[in-house]
Amino acid sequence: MTTGLPVSTILLVTGFCLSLIGIWGMLTHRNILRIIIGFAVMDTGLHIVMVATGYVTGGTAPIIDKALSKAEAAQRAIDPVPSALVVTAIVIGLSVTAVMLSYAIRLYAAKKTLSIDAFTESKW
Amino acid sequence: MVAALFHPLNIFLLGLGGGFVIPLLYRLGKPWLHAGFWLALVGIVAVCAVSYAQLLQGAPSIEVLTAGSLPPVSINLRFGAWEGFATVSVGLVALLGALHLWDRLKGNYGALLLYLILVMGIDGMVMTRDLFNLFVFLEIVSIATYGLLGLERTPQAMAAAFKYIMATVIASTLFLLGTVLLYYVTGTLNIDALIAGRAQIAGPIATAALLMVLACLLIELKPFPANGWGLDVYETAPSGIASLVSVGVSAGVFFALMKLLPLFEGQLGVIAASGGISFLFSNLIGLKQTKVQRMLGYSSISQMGLMAMALALLTEVGAEASIPLVVGGLFANHLFAKPGLFWLAGVLRQDDVEARTSLAGRPLLVALLALFMVAIAGLPPFPGFWAKWELVLQLTASGKLPWVGLILIGSLLEAAYMFNWFVRALQPAEVRSGRGPDLVALLPIYGVALLLVACGIIAARLSGIAALWIFAPLATGVVLYALDGLPGRVKNVLMLIAVALVGFWLSESTVGIARLFAAVLLPGGLVIAAAGLYRDDPRPGYYPMLATLLLSIPALLRSSNSLEFFFSWEIITLSSCFLIAKSRGAGPHVLTFLLFSLVSAFFLLAGFAGIAALNGTTDLSALLTSGQDTAIAFVLLAIGCLIKAGAVGVHVWLPGAYAEADDDFTAMLSAVVSKVAMFALLTGTYLAILSKVSLEIAHGVAWVGMLTTIAGALLALNQNDFKRLLAYSSMSQLGYIVTAIALMSHLGWVTALYLVANHMMVKGILFLAVAGIILRTGTREFGGTGGLARAMPVTFVLFTVAIISMSGLPPLMGFGGKWLLLSAMADKGWNALAIAGLIATFLGFLYMIRLITGLFLGPRAAGQQDVGELPVALLIPQALLVAGILVLSFYPKLLMDPVSAAIDPQFASTLVWEGMSLYTIYGYWNPIPVMMIAVGVAAVLGVVAWFFYRSGVHRSGHRARFYGYYRALIARTVPPLATWFWAGVRDVALAAAASFRRVYTGDGQTYALCVLLYFLALYGVSTGLAGFWIAA
Repeated sequence: MTTGLPVSTILLVTGFCLSLIGIWGMLTHRNILRIIIGFAVMDTGLHIVMVATGYVTGGTAPIIDKALSKAEAAQRAIDPVPSALVVTAIVIGLSVTAVMLSYAIRLYAAKKTLSIDAFTESKW
Repeated sequence: MVAALFHPLNIFLLGLGGGFVIPLLYRLGKPWLHAGFWLALVGIVAVCAVSYAQLLQGAPSIEVLTAGSLPPVSINLRFGAWEGFATVSVGLVALLGALHLWDRLKGNYGALLLYLILVMGIDGMVMTRDLFNLFVFLEIVSIATYGLLGLERTPQAMAAAFKYIMATVIASTLFLLGTVLLYYVTGTLNIDALIAGRAQIAGPIATAALLMVLACLLIELKPFPANGWGLDVYETAPSGIASLVSVGVSAGVFFALMKLLPLFEGQLGVIAASGGISFLFSNLIGLKQTKVQRMLGYSSISQMGLMAMALALLTEVGAEASIPLVVGGLFANHLFAKPGLFWLAGVLRQDDVEARTSLAGRPLLVALLALFMVAIAGLPPFPGFWAKWELVLQLTASGKLPWVGLILIGSLLEAAYMFNWFVRALQPAEVRSGRGPDLVALLPIYGVALLLVACGIIAARLSGIAALWIFAPLATGVVLYALDGLPGRVKNVLMLIAVALVGFWLSESTVGIARLFAAVLLPGGLVIAAAGLYRDDPRPGYYPMLATLLLSIPALLRSSNSLEFFFSWEIITLSSCFLIAKSRGAGPHVLTFLLFSLVSAFFLLAGFAGIAALNGTTDLSALLTSGQDTAIAFVLLAIGCLIKAGAVGVHVWLPGAYAEADDDFTAMLSAVVSKVAMFALLTGTYLAILSKVSLEIAHGVAWVGMLTTIAGALLALNQNDFKRLLAYSSMSQLGYIVTAIALMSHLGWVTALYLVANHMMVKGILFLAVAGIILRTGTREFGGTGGLARAMPVTFVLFTVAIISMSGLPPLMGFGGKWLLLSAMADKGWNALAIAGLIATFLGFLYMIRLITGLFLGPRAAGQQDVGELPVALLIPQALLVAGILVLSFYPKLLMDPVSAAIDPQFASTLVWEGMSLYTIYGYWNPIPVMMIAVGVAAVLGVVAWFFYRSGVHRSGHRARFYGYYRALIARTVPPLATWFWAGVRDVALAAAASFRRVYTGDGQTYALCVLLYFLALYGVSTGLAGFWIAA
């Protein structure tokens, strides 16, 4: 399958769009669960962006073996570092989502509602 | 072996390993769990401490390499001087914090694990040299914080935690994106490599990436106005967790910012502005806050803002050498003082400033609270003081004056709301809230207090304070405090002995005019302090504090540079403030006193900084040789001194403080402490002499002094409370001294010192007498006294001598002072001032006559038939002071000769004058016409007043009515403009605080939006509007 655009560009655009949709969701939905979903979407979009930055058009997996010598790797292999970073970022994002969800459970238990409007006691 | 055991990498082994082992230990039993936790935590701190100690002994920074390869391929961590300092101090606070939190932590393996991970994460943030690794540690810290915030199960606390998460995930997302984009542009994540290749980081993507990283770090420091989420957490979290967020997490973020600062060299202005705005607005909004933890939150945010601002500004002006003292000092100050306050609020279970949990009667808790407040307000001897001094000096030297103003205004606002809490905590409560906290609960608080003191001493050494005598007043106070369990009179005697010995030692090295001041004020202070023997109650904390106050005066006189001077000045302010607060009725006046004193101190600070910027030295002797441009510095110094002297317009602090302090302490305040401002003015005036521009300013100061005299006399005349009358009389008399100093002639200065000695003895006698009269009659109103001459004849005689000397009637020394003053003014051609002086003298007569007649003459007040003579303990000091007046009246040479010799020789050329007796001077100056005119004018004014009164009321001249008539007239014609003005200032500040804090709506989404907008604003400010276009 070929398209006019390189994959990395498509990924970049998709990733940024997802991130923006996610943050839009965080800022507009009053329901705490939806806010958390918004965060997850934003985070996912960001992960896609990260992977996309390491992509080299027409590149191959950065595994140095018979098919790919060290000298070739510099030109042909995609950059492995962003992929490595993404793994860490996904783990962190997952933990944060888990923590947020656990707070959502407790908040719901406290007030029997998930609307963030109900949680504005501390102010000024 | 030891090196391997204490290698910084073990911090992470202990943190992560501990994290894994703790759930297993939990299975084995709680003792195992707790032992494992403490082992890991103490281990982390020990590793940091040992490594830091090695660094301090000259070992090179420790590079921690990972993954068997060298950076930039692998991640590396660095443990240098800054990292050591940060990790050790955070570790110590974390240890003490765990003790404080122990009730909540014990048995809860989740919390223990998170706590350990949090501490490790902060150390990681401080040490790592890899940008992505920094992100990982940031997230470890964040997740641990989120978890620990869950320790508090109230809905508010959980809601606050959720808002905190929402805001910080957006911030960390920015960091992550920024990091990845930086890698995309530069191909490296190594911070050192990024800094080395800073020039390559250009273009829209790289700029946006850098700004994202910067925005995350700034947002994590909770900048105004994108910080509602932080405040909510400070308010609702358990005090131990809130303190950890305030100091630990913020420290990690701050040191990350510091480490990355070379990348942000184009954004230094933005960072400074962000910090400055946070500092100013947080402190402003804090004024309206009464919830203790939220108030401490405002203070935390402001401190972080101040640190960020200081860091950016000092880097910008190239004063990197000052960063350790300024940033390190501010950091240590905040790091140890803020948890102390959070924990104190926690153990007292005080959630609102207004709550009626009084600390009155719990001196140790009061002392701790005071200690932390003093530190937070940036007052000596704590590190914040030295840091602010250096910061202001450096900024002034670089011409960044608006920033100096911002720092001083913000500091003042912060002191206002913090000390408001202190003053309220001192108020006696109707109900004592049960038993106080036990020793174990207070242990961590003592711990941070000790660390704070230790850091203060280190910071003092860093500031170049080599001489230890400067701490002698404080040390004496501490020693006496250790003996505070003894009976009151024994403590008083011990205090007198200590002050006499140490004071003599301190004043031995004073020179010139300072020596004269020491010779007058030290014995005078001792005599007046001896009067305290009339009370036999224990007065906890009073005598140590009084010793500190009395010894700080010779210490100030001995100062050879402006830092020493300012240090002692602040100690005098603080100890007076705490001594005033000892009185039950002092309440709100303490705060007014403190705030005006701080304003005064800030003017002095600005003045000294200005001089240091011009002369390049803080040496006080440089005042003599400074050039023409010192006019502004002189004005600042003069304003500072005038505020402290209670000059008209800024006198509003004076009557309350004088009237409500303990009766014998008022005598000290008026007689001795007020003279410190006179000395400072005299010192500052050297500046004015040499630059001719300032002579006009000095003329202005002279007028301020004279107007103060007149206003003070009018206000005194308007009082029914005779202690308050004397307070205003003090203000009035100090006005004369100010005028005399401002004459800037040899004769003027001789007069000033003569008046200083006279006023000290006179006011000592009068206030001590009044203390006794209040003791005997139980009233401070003229309505409740009268006819006491028969009941207390000795007092009457002593009192009359003092009044005569104050009024300036012959033959006592006040006469000499007054005529010297008038002659000097006439000599200088300041005739209008001389006439004003005559009017003031006339007004002075009026209130003094009222004082004598109202207290001692006329019929006895009802129910006072058996009132007797004052206690001997009060009479002897008065008699000694009267003896002093008599000696100096009849042998003026005793004072005049040394004064004349002490005044700077180059200055003495204005007058060829050798130690002649007072009467010879009159002959030389031919004062007869002046005297005749003065007496004539006073007589004419008296007659006019009499006729005016007669024509107004057509009644026989009964004394009470006579005064009643004029008092009504004065009240109508002299409205309390100054009181209105300052009340207006206060109301405007509170109204501004009330409107600005409306940004904190409590809505989590609004806060999240603020975070996003903050980034966009930061981006817009850094790149201009074009940035949005190109980036799109």
